[in-house]
Amino acid sequence: MARVKFLCDGDRCIECNACVTACKNENEVPWGINRRRVVTINDGKPGERSISMACMHCTDAPCKAVCPVDCFFTTADGVVLHSKDLCIGCGYCFYACPFGAPQYPRVGNFGSRGKMDKCTYCAGGPEADLTMAEYEKYGANRLAEGKLPLCAEMCSTKALLAGDGEIIAQIYKERVVKRGYGSGAWGWKTAYREGIDV
Amino acid sequence: MLIKRKDADAARGRLQALVAGFGSELVDRRSFLRKSGLAAGALAAVGSLSVGAVRRAEAGPTNFGQPIERRKNMCTHCSVGCTVIAEVQNGVWVGQEPAWESPINRGSHCAKGAAIRELVHGDRRLKYPMKLVDGQWRRITWDQAIEEIGDKLMEIRGKSGPDSVFWLGSAKFSNEGAYLNRKLAAFWGTNTSDHQARICHSTTVAGVANTWGYGAMTNSYNDIRNSKTLIIMGGNPAEAHPVSLQHLLAGKEINRANFIVIDPRFTRTAAHATEYVRLRPGTDIPVLYGMLWHIFENGWEDKEFIKARVYGMDEIRKEIAKWTPDEVERVSGVPGEQLKRVAEMFAKQKPATLIWCMGQTQHTVGTANVRASCVLLLATGNVGGPGSGANIFRGHCNVQGATDLGLDVTTLPLYYGLTEAAWKHWCRVWEVDYDWMVSRFASKKAMEQPGIPSTRWFDAVLLPKDQVEQPDNVRAMVVFGHGGNTVTRMPEMVKGLEKLDLLVIADPHPTTFAAVSNRRNGTYLLPMCTQLETSGSRTASNRSLQWGEQIVKPIFESKDDYEVMYLLAKKLGFADKMFRNIKVEGNRPSPEDILREINRGGWSTGYSGQSPERLKAHMKNQEKFDLVTLRAPKDDPEVGGDYYGLPWPCWGSPEIRHPGTPILYNTNLHVKDGGGTFRARFGVERNGATLLAEGSYSMGSELKDGYPEFTLAVLKKLGWDKDLTAAELAMLERVGGSPEGADKVSWATDLSGGIIRVCLEHGVMPYGNAKARAVAWNLPDPIPTHREPIYSPRPDLVAKYPTLPDTRAFRVPNIGFTVQKAVVDKGLAKEFPIILTSGRLVEYEGGGEETRSNKWLAELQQDMFVEINTADAAERGIKDGAWVWVYGAANDARTRVRALVTDRVGKGVAFMPFHFSGWFMGQDQRGNYPKGTDPIVLGESVNTLTTYGYDPVTFMQEPKATLCQIRAA
Amino acid sequence: MTRGGFGRRIAVAAFVALFSVCLAMTLAPRAGWAQQARQGVNPTAQAVKEEQLLKELDRVTGRVSIPDSKAGTLIQPEGREWRAYHERTLHWIGGIAILGMLAVLALFYSVRGKIRIEHGWAGVKIMRFTTFERFVHWLTASSFIVLALSGLNVVFGKVLLLPLVGSDAFAVFSQWAKYAHNYLSFAFAAGIVLTFVIWVTENIPNRTDIAWAKQGGGILGHAHPPAGKFNGGQKLIFWSVVLVGAAIAASGYVLMFPFYGTNIADMQVAQIIHGVLGVLMIAVILAHIYIGTLGMEGAFDAMGTGEVDLNWAKEHHSLWVEEEMSKARAAGGGAAVPAE
Repeated sequence: MARVKFLCDGDRCIECNACVTACKNENEVPWGINRRRVVTINDGKPGERSISMACMHCTDAPCKAVCPVDCFFTTADGVVLHSKDLCIGCGYCFYACPFGAPQYPRVGNFGSRGKMDKCTYCAGGPEADLTMAEYEKYGANRLAEGKLPLCAEMCSTKALLAGDGEIIAQIYKERVVKRGYGSGAWGWKTAYREGIDV
Repeated sequence: MLIKRKDADAARGRLQALVAGFGSELVDRRSFLRKSGLAAGALAAVGSLSVGAVRRAEAGPTNFGQPIERRKNMCTHCSVGCTVIAEVQNGVWVGQEPAWESPINRGSHCAKGAAIRELVHGDRRLKYPMKLVDGQWRRITWDQAIEEIGDKLMEIRGKSGPDSVFWLGSAKFSNEGAYLNRKLAAFWGTNTSDHQARICHSTTVAGVANTWGYGAMTNSYNDIRNSKTLIIMGGNPAEAHPVSLQHLLAGKEINRANFIVIDPRFTRTAAHATEYVRLRPGTDIPVLYGMLWHIFENGWEDKEFIKARVYGMDEIRKEIAKWTPDEVERVSGVPGEQLKRVAEMFAKQKPATLIWCMGQTQHTVGTANVRASCVLLLATGNVGGPGSGANIFRGHCNVQGATDLGLDVTTLPLYYGLTEAAWKHWCRVWEVDYDWMVSRFASKKAMEQPGIPSTRWFDAVLLPKDQVEQPDNVRAMVVFGHGGNTVTRMPEMVKGLEKLDLLVIADPHPTTFAAVSNRRNGTYLLPMCTQLETSGSRTASNRSLQWGEQIVKPIFESKDDYEVMYLLAKKLGFADKMFRNIKVEGNRPSPEDILREINRGGWSTGYSGQSPERLKAHMKNQEKFDLVTLRAPKDDPEVGGDYYGLPWPCWGSPEIRHPGTPILYNTNLHVKDGGGTFRARFGVERNGATLLAEGSYSMGSELKDGYPEFTLAVLKKLGWDKDLTAAELAMLERVGGSPEGADKVSWATDLSGGIIRVCLEHGVMPYGNAKARAVAWNLPDPIPTHREPIYSPRPDLVAKYPTLPDTRAFRVPNIGFTVQKAVVDKGLAKEFPIILTSGRLVEYEGGGEETRSNKWLAELQQDMFVEINTADAAERGIKDGAWVWVYGAANDARTRVRALVTDRVGKGVAFMPFHFSGWFMGQDQRGNYPKGTDPIVLGESVNTLTTYGYDPVTFMQEPKATLCQIRAA
Repeated sequence: MTRGGFGRRIAVAAFVALFSVCLAMTLAPRAGWAQQARQGVNPTAQAVKEEQLLKELDRVTGRVSIPDSKAGTLIQPEGREWRAYHERTLHWIGGIAILGMLAVLALFYSVRGKIRIEHGWAGVKIMRFTTFERFVHWLTASSFIVLALSGLNVVFGKVLLLPLVGSDAFAVFSQWAKYAHNYLSFAFAAGIVLTFVIWVTENIPNRTDIAWAKQGGGILGHAHPPAGKFNGGQKLIFWSVVLVGAAIAASGYVLMFPFYGTNIADMQVAQIIHGVLGVLMIAVILAHIYIGTLGMEGAFDAMGTGEVDLNWAKEHHSLWVEEEMSKARAAGGGAAVPAE
């Protein structure tokens, strides 16, 4: 079974935000919820790099560990999903998440966070695949259609890679060897407890 | 049609989003709270729930139980030409899929392309025709709108003549729409027909065409994969053309290419450079000459290339010799050592390409900048082969096509110009009587005189009548698909708007034109659909034409450009003549037929071979084209041997199946395979020196030296006229008016295409084989010359490098010299010590009304801002994110924006994006938009601050180098 | 991750450390631009590296265009450490504190038994707490109990309760528990404020408390060290309720209004403070409940009816009884000895 991951090649990412709007488009994500975002480090200085970030679908996911109602589950593909029926919007997954992935709709004037929303790796949720109920709560289920997350598929420079971890790591390695430089697989050590050695 | 929502619902959608600060939509669409009845019951407004219900019906998820149709169109945002694949169910666009098969984008998009489906959700689109009645927007019917507009136009025509109507067209038109718009202006009787190219690449077109023949990108985005050295000078493709970076970075990686960015700003593109050079805005020529100085000093120039294919290089060398490293550094701030390194890479690590954008073009020296860039390419022999060339990234999705098809005050479609011969050519194509056409104009002189450019339209409204070289001032504007915040000197522009008798805005959105002024009457809004809701072809920056099919029917009451222009022509009384050879169904002219008409007349630029059938076959067979060469395998039954999109010139008639020209002037290919030479456009000899190529010719040419352009007489001289068919000869005689006249008929006006066909058979270029011109003697500065910006931050340099003297052109005066002198005399550089430059953001496009209305994009850039250097900000006590006032150096202009404190800009330079409008000098104008059509994000326009300054050749404005002052608000 | 910076930072002074981190983030990347401008730069070769940034700052932050400041944090591995705290450390602290306290109380009960009124019921009652005082107490107490249970549910619910009731029922319960926790916090906070206002003057520590403490509050022996209205132990409860309660409430509101002037690290610190103090306070309150009910005869009446048996009062709050008596005498009547 594949173990899917995300990898953002910082030497390709140009902060065009296609991944962000592709996500909005595919999953009809509302204003204020950013399942994916692009962060620019060292903005305006030599060495500046932009990294597209969403849920990394961690190995031994911290969100899953800290959830007080145990609403997370990891699919056979390694995608970390959660049930909005069970989620109580406590916000703990956000504290635990190393990548700022969980998002909460603001549903009241104070405090009451709505049910958590996050990147599903375009894999829907616990509902039956490709149903309206699944789409309404979690968005598209491209994995069930045999496709990969739209953010990566539409990436303007093929910086954002999605797919089996070993394959995308191989692609990245080949790139680094060919071009002679690479700023690393951002977040991999934190998410998967392993980097990519080139 | 489910997509046509009831207006009430649409209005409620707007209010709901606005009042609830955009947060409440999450309640409806995703039903986050459905299962937690407590919160939903207590918090969700009834209104939002009902809107949610509507929305779901209109643009819900794909229903896998229903058939899905895939339709192909292209992104309408930039010139890269990314294919968009839409999944449509029951006439509703339910999903977007990556277009893997497109050789241009290979599935990719930028933020805009990935959010394009939102355009036909259309929450904030203009939904029906409207007019302004005593300051209030009123809904009217299409019939009423066309009637009233037509009557008013006729009244103005009667009193002031046809030239008092400004037809402002759009780079967002399809080719067919652009052509029709130019034709409409011609049939109306004016040459004042312009579009966005004026303010983006008019100087490129002028500069490049005057150098080697055609005003376009010489190679393609894909071809940059072959480059070993790339210089991007005055461009930020990472934000303006993100998908092109896929090819640029591939070149950088595969070839380990040098990736050099020369720009006043450390842009997102610069972040990926291997060398970043910071220059002062407006000093491109010193930097280019600085490079050339090192090149000639060290003998790195390509001597063979220059000898065979370049005219006048020696003359230029004298000017270059003045630009020693010290002088270059004094003027531009670029150190000599760095420039030497860059110059050496460019000259030695070949093929090298020079990429530019509006950083070079938007200057009073725009044409000269471009010409100097060409000289650098010519000196190093970097034109006419894979991986080299002038890769000019055009802006809008069809700005290349709209330029080609004549939305330009100086020419009829396809660069035929405005001469009698040009008019006669097009009259033959249109099958209208030339004398009738003359009668449409104020005079024959007016017919052959360039119109008023879009940068100066308000001057033509406001100046005293005697200063405008036509019977009367401009009194009406008919604007199709063009933002109002795109021209400099906006405070003056607003006054012009207020003085107009008639303002017609035909656009999917009301645009700045509708909201910025205090007009109370005489303003009409016509809801137009986007190119996604109609069909037609568009020309990407690399000259490839792509056919887009209609994804969904026009939403709400909007109509496509073709239909509205037909309705106008009908009302104005010349529809039968104008559409003589174009099938009209209902009121919609067939874009296929329009393209066929273009094919029949577009010989000069090779727009003759791209029939709708061929273009549609290309879209169908996209996956067959090679990623790098863009060519399909020769044995393919439908597109065999073609280059993708039949990049113009695609010579001759569609039947001879010329494959298109992916790289211009490439002598290493046979002309039938897309090879070519520099164009013989400027005669054969000057001052005793030949202008024709020496010993250089395209592969397989039967003429092994330079040759002039072809007429029947030239064919006869070579004895090749025997190859013409009887039908072709008959047509030549018809065009020439007589057997003797036929001799003078050139390849470009030969409606039979016979001359071109015979030329190709003999392996020669119909347009001749000449040298490129390093010296363009017909331009104000034959040798590109550095001239300080009008609002120069360096008064000390103005004396040595002043702008050109005042002059008149395009029917209006250009008083740049006077203004520059006043700026120096008044010491404005002290009062306004920061250089202000402008540019793009990836999320928005052009004037920005469309993209700022797209909620997926608008969320990413919610405030207009000014980039200010950390040191400048510290001096002024300005913190990142704080509100500041930016003061302009003219018109007492000031704008209230957020500060983005960053080292992207150097000290003493500020940058503002140009996509914002809806605030004017600190005032929020949201209330000026018709209800429900106000873009989500509004902000100050940078052009409120920009100042006087026009390129003498094209009247390009100068928004890239002016002065400002910034203070904490 | 061997830095261990997180735990240490908490231990030292979390907020101060955080401020210095923020400061460092704004200052650190400034250096080096000026000299680069002159000799030209190679942005590809100078690319920032994740490992280096993490080493320097424990986190990677940058610029985002969306107006969501927390989105600017790209990677914060502390999330892992917060998780370790929440899933291990807090379980241990909570478990030890609460079970430990219960064990101590059980042990105490088995040894000491219920502390009787030595002189038996006097049958005469003395007013100890007014209706308002009792209202304040029960306001605070009842809300605290709900807060404590719902809070414990967050920490231990999925281990203890979820397997019993199943995930759906548990989620529904937890959802309600969350709302209860959020909304009752206001009652609790009000209770804390009122508690402070009405009793602070009588809870200022004095010499009596030292004497009281020296005798162990009379808990182990049978001595009855003199005490005012509140003895040393009660003062301890008072101050822990007021101070710890206030800290819990404050940190709770930080959590309830997420990212209002705080960042993710502040939120984590707030959550740690909230959790640790919460379980500790539960332990303390358990002792308080024990002594007020099971542990001591006659004590509950103070917060029950508000009137306590005179003998109970004399034994435990001799100074207060004297004071009340003298007040009553001064007022001229047996008012201090209300009706039977």
